Amino acid sequence: MNRSYSSIIISFIFIVPLQVLIFRNFVLYGTGFNFFYLFCLLLLPVELSAITGMLIAFFTGLLIDLFYHTLGIHAAASVLFMFLRYYWLRFNGPRSGYEVNHFPTIPNYGFGWYITYALPLIFIHSTAVFLLEAGNLSIAGQSLLRGLITALISFIFIVLTQYFFFKKAR
Amino acid sequence: MSQLIAFLVRSRAVLIFLGLQAICFWLIIGNNDYQRTAFINGAAGFIGSVSNTSRNVQDYFELKRVNEELAQENAQLRLMLQQEESIVTDSIDSYLYEADSLDSVQYYFVPAEVVQNNFRLANNFFMINKGAKDSIQPGMGVISGLGIVGKIRSVTDDFAQGISVLNTKNPISIKHEPSGRVGTLLWNGLDQRFAEVLYMTPDVSIVAGDSIMTSSYNAIYPKDILAGTVTEVEMDDNRTYLNITIQLSVDFARLSRVYVVKNQAKVQIDSLVENNPLQQP
Repeated sequence: MNRSYSSIIISFIFIVPLQVLIFRNFVLYGTGFNFFYLFCLLLLPVELSAITGMLIAFFTGLLIDLFYHTLGIHAAASVLFMFLRYYWLRFNGPRSGYEVNHFPTIPNYGFGWYITYALPLIFIHSTAVFLLEAGNLSIAGQSLLRGLITALISFIFIVLTQYFFFKKAR
Repeated sequence: MSQLIAFLVRSRAVLIFLGLQAICFWLIIGNNDYQRTAFINGAAGFIGSVSNTSRNVQDYFELKRVNEELAQENAQLRLMLQQEESIVTDSIDSYLYEADSLDSVQYYFVPAEVVQNNFRLANNFFMINKGAKDSIQPGMGVISGLGIVGKIRSVTDDFAQGISVLNTKNPISIKHEPSGRVGTLLWNGLDQRFAEVLYMTPDVSIVAGDSIMTSSYNAIYPKDILAGTVTEVEMDDNRTYLNITIQLSVDFARLSRVYVVKNQAKVQIDSLVENNPLQQP
């Protein structure tokens, strides 16, 4: 248990600055942002209670917001993300059930399960960010397009990171 | 009663979710209000210095382009200097001088560098590396060598945050050249290269290629600073106003060097406006 906590803290220490310093500056064709920091939230243990998860998401989102100049928007989307994740994890479990102390990652549960776990959540998060940011529904079409492309890009980065750096837990 | 408490305990996750969302929305709304940016201001010093470090690395990749732009601007300024030089026909003219150089200049320009810049959101802001130490104040205009950029919103000791032209809540008073008609420039939140001009009536003849400049009806920008060129003109459905799309002269995707405009006469202009009972809202 101790080991899993320390690896979560390490992932936050690496990924949040990566988002703020590097991925913030790269936007594809004006529509494709990269919200790689969602990987931290996706990585949190399955057993984590909804309330702790939402508090972590709130403060992570707030930190990201300070650098994006959009105070509250990423926080709101991340809290929504975490709230839905709690129920989505329980509704959409892998066939053999969750193992204790296993992170919800591709090496542990397979790519097929991961795509149904992560992609809808990331899409909801990024769409929420762009809809809140626009502040009204007059450019909802553009917000949805941005949400979709951003979700795909973030998902690709999150998947590749796992193939490069993560091993199956014993 | 005990049932109510049991219900609250059972649905505590939902309640905390709603509570956190309420805090977030309070933050979002408070943040959109210009007067309630105290929280961001407090953090701006630290975030500015982090962005500055990140910006320093980026600067090296842009050196070539920035040099070219500065060389072009220098060439333009040299041309203007030549034009100013006039032949003295009367000896009396050559003895005229300004009593005080401070009185003769209305606008001062403070060069600054953009350390943070958004242009893909609906309401964009940017941050520059000059602040209260360089006597930057909220409300000052920001221009670049190519055209208008925005105006300063809030200031810390070393940094200042500005509202970009690419902000759906930042209207700017402009005029059409050559007719001289005054209108309002407002971004529509879609494409960073284009903006819209509002309140031009159909009796003005406007064609693609005409220039849109800042008007003299404001105390923020000097007049005749380029905003963009007209690309598309069409009548609106009610036939009251023209729908005009302009291409902005500043490329916000590559914004790096800007000038903050200090208007020496702003205090005088503002005091006249405030003392006039007819203009009071």
